[in-house]
Amino acid sequence: MINISLSHLKEIPPRIIWSVLFLTGIGLIVLRSISQHNFGGLFQNPFTKQLIFLGPGLCLAIIILFIPRYTIHKYSYLLYSIGILLVLLPFLGDPHAGTYRWLNIGLPFSIQPSEFAKVFTTIALARYLSDYNIEMKQFSAIILPILLVLLPTAVVINQPDLGTAIIMMTPGLAMLYWSGARPFYLFLLLAPLMSMLTAFHNIAFTLWVFVLGLSIYIAHTRRFIALSLFFGNIFLGLFSPFLWNSLTLYQQNRILTFINPEKDPLGVAYQIIQSKTAIGSGGILGKGWGEGTQTHLKFLPVQESDFILSVMGEELGFITVSFVLIVFGFLIMQIIKHSYLSKDRFSSLALIGFATIFMSHVFVNTAMTVGLIPVKGLPFPFISAGGSFLITSYIMIGLILKLSVNYSD
Amino acid sequence: MLKAENIVSYRQYLFALMITWALVIILIIRFFQIQILGYARYTQKAETNRIRKVTATAPRGLILDRKGKILVDNSPTYVLTAIPGELKNKKQKFQFISRIIGLDSVKVLENYKKYYRGKFTPTRLAKDLTFNQISRLEENKINLEGIYYEQFPERYFPSKVNASHILGYVKEIDNATLNTLKDKSNYELGDMIGWNGLEQQYELFLKGVRGIYFYEVDAFGREVGHVDELDPQNPEPGNNIVTTLDMDIQYHLESLMKDKKGVIIVGKPRTGEILAAISAPDFKPDLFTGLMLEEEWKTVLYDPDKPLINRMVQGLYPPGSIVKMITAITLLENSEFDPNKTQVCEGHYQFGDRLFGCWWDEGHGEMDLTAAMLNSCDVYFYKNISLIGFDNLSASFKSFGFGVPTNIDISGEAIGIVPSISFMNKRYGRYGWSKGAMLNICIGQGELLVTPIQVFNYINLIASRGKAGLPHLVMTNNKMPNIQKNVKPEFWDKIINDMSEVIYNTNGTGKNADPGISGLNVFGKTGTAENPHGNTHAWFVGWAEYNEEQYSMVILLENAGSGGSVAAPMAREILKSIFNDIQVAKND
Repeated sequence: MINISLSHLKEIPPRIIWSVLFLTGIGLIVLRSISQHNFGGLFQNPFTKQLIFLGPGLCLAIIILFIPRYTIHKYSYLLYSIGILLVLLPFLGDPHAGTYRWLNIGLPFSIQPSEFAKVFTTIALARYLSDYNIEMKQFSAIILPILLVLLPTAVVINQPDLGTAIIMMTPGLAMLYWSGARPFYLFLLLAPLMSMLTAFHNIAFTLWVFVLGLSIYIAHTRRFIALSLFFGNIFLGLFSPFLWNSLTLYQQNRILTFINPEKDPLGVAYQIIQSKTAIGSGGILGKGWGEGTQTHLKFLPVQESDFILSVMGEELGFITVSFVLIVFGFLIMQIIKHSYLSKDRFSSLALIGFATIFMSHVFVNTAMTVGLIPVKGLPFPFISAGGSFLITSYIMIGLILKLSVNYSD
Repeated sequence: MLKAENIVSYRQYLFALMITWALVIILIIRFFQIQILGYARYTQKAETNRIRKVTATAPRGLILDRKGKILVDNSPTYVLTAIPGELKNKKQKFQFISRIIGLDSVKVLENYKKYYRGKFTPTRLAKDLTFNQISRLEENKINLEGIYYEQFPERYFPSKVNASHILGYVKEIDNATLNTLKDKSNYELGDMIGWNGLEQQYELFLKGVRGIYFYEVDAFGREVGHVDELDPQNPEPGNNIVTTLDMDIQYHLESLMKDKKGVIIVGKPRTGEILAAISAPDFKPDLFTGLMLEEEWKTVLYDPDKPLINRMVQGLYPPGSIVKMITAITLLENSEFDPNKTQVCEGHYQFGDRLFGCWWDEGHGEMDLTAAMLNSCDVYFYKNISLIGFDNLSASFKSFGFGVPTNIDISGEAIGIVPSISFMNKRYGRYGWSKGAMLNICIGQGELLVTPIQVFNYINLIASRGKAGLPHLVMTNNKMPNIQKNVKPEFWDKIINDMSEVIYNTNGTGKNADPGISGLNVFGKTGTAENPHGNTHAWFVGWAEYNEEQYSMVILLENAGSGGSVAAPMAREILKSIFNDIQVAKND
């Protein structure tokens, strides 16, 4: 069997491998820069931490290459159940910094089970959507797969970890689209949320109303439904600031803390100012490796993970950051291409799911770094130091490489 | 099922690619906007202006006595810090600083390395600087680029009392401790954390919330202005706590215990409030602040009398005769026992092949229960103890709070030993001990070991007829649940009457405890406990009643002699001082 597998290794797409190696490499270079003044232990030093986590990550990716595709397919629901159990486990222990996000198993670092659950949920959803040849044009057909995604998401929201919960849902949307669900239905799922969020910003809300109207117009629904959707959303949007203002300050704070439990708004604003100053002062070519005065401000507590791109922007400049983003786009493009070319639907769906996970991480992380969105940052794949997400990323790369190869086994 | 064919259309594929590149391009445009278009602005901001986040340590809450007098206060001192990234000619500057503040420049460098966390994070060089020293540094600011200072509230003890074991102390948090905390966000390296006593127990309450200020500073570290987009956050001082302590009684106890070893606890039985308590020898409460010299600290640390140990909750002692009330109640609860039936004490008692002596070698003669209590006759109890079982007796001890923690609001409490049959089997083997062990235990000797705070709770239970409050040191509105001891009222009457006899009978061992104040009734019991460390420990336990008001006390003097001759007179002194004050207050 290993022989068979080996013969197929030649077909593994080299472009994906080169992109990942490039991203990991440049990540190490940046991490080395910020580790210069770090006298902490192996796990406190971002550079050594990254190296330590790369080992198991690479090993897992290689092991996955030798697992037959049907085995992955066969055990996908089992893995999904394990994923759910894993995200429930931290609730049995003591909260860690006020959340049940981390699983402490006596190692010098904690494990974040929700990262692994993301992958398992994607595989399980791929299987569900490929097993049942459902008529996806019906709105009701998308309800069960959405429940499949919402179950782990609900647990993660209660940890509470809104960021990961949102990331967990995005592959679901992409995969539903991939299996033929009307984009308009997916749009409708998100519309109320957007109406409520944009309602706090005049220009954003105006733009949103425009987009909403256009989408409903293009969708060619019956006039009554179209009008009720449109005005329902606008009403919801107009109503939400009143709803918000009717809450007491204490309740508002409770909600804000729920959205962003780790940092006070003050801390976030401060970090984003620092981040933008660092990036902006980097210019076209950057200040040079290890020369970034701004990002060596160690009071950005998560610069080795959430704000790693600020370091890169300041020290290596616009050219490098753009190149990194382009390489990332190229990597995602390759994954999508293999998803499109894939012969079986299971692989195709899993691939688009993984591509979405990567893309949403990159977008949310980077957009926060440059002050486009105010939410808590998620790690940047392959570049942010260590942790459960680095290992998860490599597991996903292993799966992507495995499922990209078109042969039957 | 893997046979299910891929049905993705070319249109879907193109749409996915479009979204991907659209997102990437949005991000690149944003970077272009910040890095190319905003370059000049941000460079200027980065190079000439730097937002500095300055944290201000919140003062801890005060610790007050029950009348609101301050036991623990804060005094402002200054901490000198350096921003490594702005620091040039480090050695030269450190030497200059050390000349002004009188701290070895090697030590300054050592601190610098110890607190270093990053190039632009304020790094502590020295603490406990006076305003005077800061002024002198300020005069030379032009030479001290990269050197800053901040105010730091340090614990300060304005009162005349020590109460060091109760108050505890604060200590600088270190990495090891920081990592054990569940919520690290409120602490940073160099912060103070309660390490012992009330400071530790009420840490969450006393600790305030650190303030955060944002300054814009220029390249020379000079303040240019505040940052408008960022609201400062003033430090929130911690909450004050009001203790149950009475500073005047505490002061009196501390002067009585000067140069002695032992424990005194005075309190109110019904509520469990502790009015004053001392574990002697003690130490000055400012021992752990930076103002104390290292020599003094070493003297305390290596003192053979171990002043750092809180004997009140950690010291284990044989209780001796002070537990005879428990033995008596256990006997009274036995229907075969008649308190009026007399036994003859010849000064010793033969049990099996062992001779058990009474403390009075010549023998007390014929005794009933009351006489045995007031004379503290041992043989009377030896002769009657066969009426009750071993585990019956140990259950009785437990029901009065021995062998279990009292849950007083101070950490490190020892639980002591109440021997039972299974305990004796475990320690000596099934056949390694005889029932004679019970004879020792019923008079408070042998394997029985107690802490003074357990004794305090025990005497409170008797004084309140089984309804004492949980011993505590911080005022609270709700009565905290303590163990309840149910004893028939007539047995309480009997025991309490006997304890009055101990004080007022001419033969009573506790007669020296009577301060002779009219209207004041004293109840008590003395104890003289044999121990392996030399001379006997002297005990006095009891309470005084004055117009419904009860004051209980426990006195333990290590290796000081007999309870009646050493501890009882001390009880008299304490009662005099408490009730003289009350009478003076009434006459005013």
